[in-house]
Amino acid sequence: MPPLPVITGLGFITSIGQGRAAVLDHLREQRHGFEPVEFFDNPNLPVKVAGTVKGFSFPTPNWRDWRWPDNLTVDRELLRGLAPHGVYALCALQEALADAGLQAAQLTDGTTGLFCASAGSPFLLGNFIDQMHATRGERGNPMGIISSIAGTLNFNLAAHYGISGAVCGFVSACASSSHALGYAMDEIRLGRQQRMLVVGAEDLTAESIVAFSSLRALSSNPDPDTASRPFDRGRDGFVGTGGAVAVIVEDLALARERGVHVYAELAGWGQAGDGYAVVASHPQGAGLREAMRRTLVDARVNASEVDYVNAHATSTPAGDRSEALALHAIFTRAGAKPRISSTKALTGHGLSLAGVMEAAFCALAIDDGFVPGTAHLEEPDAVCAGLDLPRASLEVAPRFVLNNSSGFGGSNVCHLLRRPT
Amino acid sequence: MRTAPAAPAPVTSTNREESLRHLPEEARAAFHRFQAVGDPAGLDPVIFAILDDFIPHHSAVPLADLPGTTNLAADLGFDSLSITEVVFFTEDLFAINISNEEIMQVRSLDDLRGFIRRKVAAPATR
Repeated sequence: MPPLPVITGLGFITSIGQGRAAVLDHLREQRHGFEPVEFFDNPNLPVKVAGTVKGFSFPTPNWRDWRWPDNLTVDRELLRGLAPHGVYALCALQEALADAGLQAAQLTDGTTGLFCASAGSPFLLGNFIDQMHATRGERGNPMGIISSIAGTLNFNLAAHYGISGAVCGFVSACASSSHALGYAMDEIRLGRQQRMLVVGAEDLTAESIVAFSSLRALSSNPDPDTASRPFDRGRDGFVGTGGAVAVIVEDLALARERGVHVYAELAGWGQAGDGYAVVASHPQGAGLREAMRRTLVDARVNASEVDYVNAHATSTPAGDRSEALALHAIFTRAGAKPRISSTKALTGHGLSLAGVMEAAFCALAIDDGFVPGTAHLEEPDAVCAGLDLPRASLEVAPRFVLNNSSGFGGSNVCHLLRRPT
Repeated sequence: MRTAPAAPAPVTSTNREESLRHLPEEARAAFHRFQAVGDPAGLDPVIFAILDDFIPHHSAVPLADLPGTTNLAADLGFDSLSITEVVFFTEDLFAINISNEEIMQVRSLDDLRGFIRRKVAAPATR
């Protein structure tokens, strides 16, 4: 039997909870993770809501001031090289490893790899650059680069866990961790690795979030209960979030040998570029449509077999519209009508974190037998007519689940997850 | 690339109080005494506090109680990166510049103590 990648461990540090049980409750009960925020202590900013990561605090760039929940362990030696999202990532990975019944010593023999995704830490990078300017280049924090640039997650986690298998970081903006998961699947399928640790994470700082205000991509709705409303006619931009999600992917044969629980099989993935614009998605969702098609082909699954689609839909007017059109092209045109929702209505948009976070939600949906709804959806956009967009979560056990992600430059990545056979 | 000005402006600490803020009270007091009276011999609590902050694995014995011959790398586990962090912190706190050649000469606690005392006592060159 050829290798089959399956998910055997999940770890969550998200706006809708830390740990699988809390996240599951939030998804099932449609409880969001948004709170009012005031970035840069500036009441004039139009962005007033974020998906906050409760219990963590990063008030200054100095790691000695950082705080995290008492039940989580962060090694002081490691902390010096981490960004805020590195702290989230370490905690999420610890949970995922424990969930998969793995000890750190089992990760070092070369059969385990590590793929990560984050945009780096604008918060720490800005501080590091300021320091260099202040000293005219004569002094700088030795950990400045390690802790701040894109790649900081794989630098730190690979060294900490002694990973001697494949180690890589992925940067494709909001599709980054979806790429990481897709290529992790390939590492297993090609027989290169038996186990992959996949981690996506982002800071939740003014520097990370408000930057998107320059693109007019953020919601200016100050109400945490309605600011993020994917596919709704009244949507006006996304709500930012941070955190980390870690997924343990193993070859099914290894998972069976170890006797561990399998959340879901990773049946296929695909990607396609829009070939269209730097920021805006293709108006017809061409790249996403093709990425979905390639994923279904890779998984040898028909559109009509897909029970649930976790949409990328971030709550921006243009992006959600493109995705709706792509969904019509794949499903409506084939006479298929899967349940579709965007869990960003609850979490906010996690940028590089989004893809693997939502793949993990899909695994939970398969494992726990439910379909998450799209919270805050009152009046669906006319373009969504004919799509099945449940508001509340449904007690329906999906067998095949599609996870969509799209990033800047028109990178589109999808995964197809299947209930374990 | 911009041309460097003929007379470089002095490089001072980026934020001395920020550096001091996390040191134990005894170390902060020692540093302030040094600032007031300029006696580098009283800097030991500062030096030990800096080492304690960056030591890769905490020593069971307080650093101040260890013999001066204790080797930073072999006995205390400092690697090149943690030494670099100690150097950066020290440079920033005392507004001095330490060259790689100077770092290579420092191997033991006594070496470090002596080196910092000499360095901060020397007339500022920047």
